[in-house]
Amino acid sequence: MTADNILLTTSVGSFGKPDYLQKARNQHARGKLGAAELVELERKATLEWIRTQEEIGLDILVDGEMYRGDMVAHFAELLDGYSEGGLVRAYGNRYYHKPVISGKLARPKPMTVEWFQYAQSLTDKPVKGMLTGPYTMLDWSYNEAYPTRREAALALAEVVRQEAEDLDRAGARYIQIDEPAVHARPEELAIAIEAMGIVTQNLKAKTISHICYGDFAAIYPGVLDLPVDQLDLAMANYEYRWLDLMDRQPFTKEMAIGIVDVHTHELESVAEAADGIRRGLKYVSADKLLPHPDCGLKTRPVEESIAKCRIVVEATKVVRAELAKNAVPA
Amino acid sequence: MKTTVIGAFPKISDEPGGQELRQALHKHDRGELKDSELDSVYDAVTKNAIGELDAAGIDVINDGQIRWDDLLAPFASAWQGVRRGPLERFYDNNTYFRQPTIEGPLSSDGQTLVRAFTYARSIATHELKAAVAGPITFATLAIDKHYASLEDRVLAVADAIAAEVRGLGEAGATLVDVEDPGLVFGPQHVELAREAYRRIAAAGVPIALHAYFFPADRILETLASFPVAQIGIDVRSRDTTALRRLDVFKGKTVVLGIVDARNTRLETASELGKLAEEALRLVPSDSLWLAPTTGLEYLPHDVASKKLAALAEAARGGVPA
Repeated sequence: MTADNILLTTSVGSFGKPDYLQKARNQHARGKLGAAELVELERKATLEWIRTQEEIGLDILVDGEMYRGDMVAHFAELLDGYSEGGLVRAYGNRYYHKPVISGKLARPKPMTVEWFQYAQSLTDKPVKGMLTGPYTMLDWSYNEAYPTRREAALALAEVVRQEAEDLDRAGARYIQIDEPAVHARPEELAIAIEAMGIVTQNLKAKTISHICYGDFAAIYPGVLDLPVDQLDLAMANYEYRWLDLMDRQPFTKEMAIGIVDVHTHELESVAEAADGIRRGLKYVSADKLLPHPDCGLKTRPVEESIAKCRIVVEATKVVRAELAKNAVPA
Repeated sequence: MKTTVIGAFPKISDEPGGQELRQALHKHDRGELKDSELDSVYDAVTKNAIGELDAAGIDVINDGQIRWDDLLAPFASAWQGVRRGPLERFYDNNTYFRQPTIEGPLSSDGQTLVRAFTYARSIATHELKAAVAGPITFATLAIDKHYASLEDRVLAVADAIAAEVRGLGEAGATLVDVEDPGLVFGPQHVELAREAYRRIAAAGVPIALHAYFFPADRILETLASFPVAQIGIDVRSRDTTALRRLDVFKGKTVVLGIVDARNTRLETASELGKLAEEALRLVPSDSLWLAPTTGLEYLPHDVASKKLAALAEAARGGVPA
């Protein structure tokens, strides 16, 4: 274990969109801005976020998802077999277009590969390929077309597999296939595992799955069978209580650990966040523990996204220094 | 057979002008709209929801819960001893709520919903019922920093809910829905629930216990002995044997959730008619109400409207020959 490969910092995927991009997206939605102009601004914002992540000192980067609204609807818009649904409320005053599986699912062309290639071309640090997992795609869609949820999940797994393999071929070293809905119905965990197996079966990249907001205890330890190398978990929001589960059943994968809550404006102190890392180190060794915010930061303004990531990096520096101090000199 | 709705109705729509409340809340957040102005928007949107439910021919309506941020929010905001805490997923939905965080003894003045109910009553042309959150749902979804046990917590919540039901009764409510998916999510708490419901029923207003999302199969007979006027059963969200066992509810009204409020696929009249017909073999028609499985707010507004129409049609004679 060397100092440069322990406690690698990262983020879950999305960042706040700058005001000019938010405005442009609204204009585009009203037909007042062309697609090409919007893409230019999305590329500009992506470049800014890559530079910002480098400046903050994060180790494994993301493209920030400047071109996405919702993590399911974005893919649904690009897949055959989906139709756009109306607005439904997620919480508070936040709404999303919940998509409808209305026919046979198919992927007409790659969906994220160009964005990955663009983002990776801007930096020497690794950029993660970012996909939404088949079980979550199913759970967050209305299903009018497939007779059972399993059949719909497996059809989605096939299209996500195609995309993941394209990212793999494009050189992604990390591919993240998010399953935040994996615990929505604990009795269907086997379906989520079967579907993820289809997606990751041929990948060379390190595979990751992000899980958040739900009863993690209801799927633990079964979720350790999800065929990915790393689970990426919201912990700060839960006051780290999921770690207690690992007293009884050891955690067997790499863990990206959420050490700042993303659904509050309040900023954690560096000391609090560092303590979160120390808690994680009781269960996962430093080379397999990756500090990051609990979840995607898209609901936070740009400045708050940056502030939360800075806390992650600063807290990690504190703990790395402690580990270096305690290490036996060679 | 009467028709009714449960829970929240969509607050906005995709139609032009259909996002008044969403925009008003944004403005209110930015300090550009006064509390009283936001209140007027809430009233206007409530009026539209009630108008739509009335016009769809639903026999017993509610106020659409337009002011409710989530099932627990009105109570977690108003009661003493609790505040709204972190965001959490609401059961198996991609819908989130703020977990009530209990920090002291719970108490309610019983007036939380009275103003909204009184306003709704002044508009509704059809019979209007009120609604509160269920004791097991509230207590099991809360973060508790005060009570020593689940039992203490559930009973304290039940007492606060009973105060709300009493207040609603004094305001003229003749039926109050108690929405308690937590009871069928965690059927092991059913005996504790019995005492909670005894306390709520003691408020003296007929109550309807609505257990949705999960099957009630394991506790059907026990529920039948609860001191409630109505039992709401969701027969669409999961496989269930309840439809073949509805005769256990003899003497109560069964509110059958037959229209799936969580999927956009529209039921056919014959599909709904068959479900109603099966229920009618075990429940007399004057004791059977037809309903969506849960609140229609899980659907886009236009689909919710179509589901209402399908429901009304099913009750009008959707029973196939």
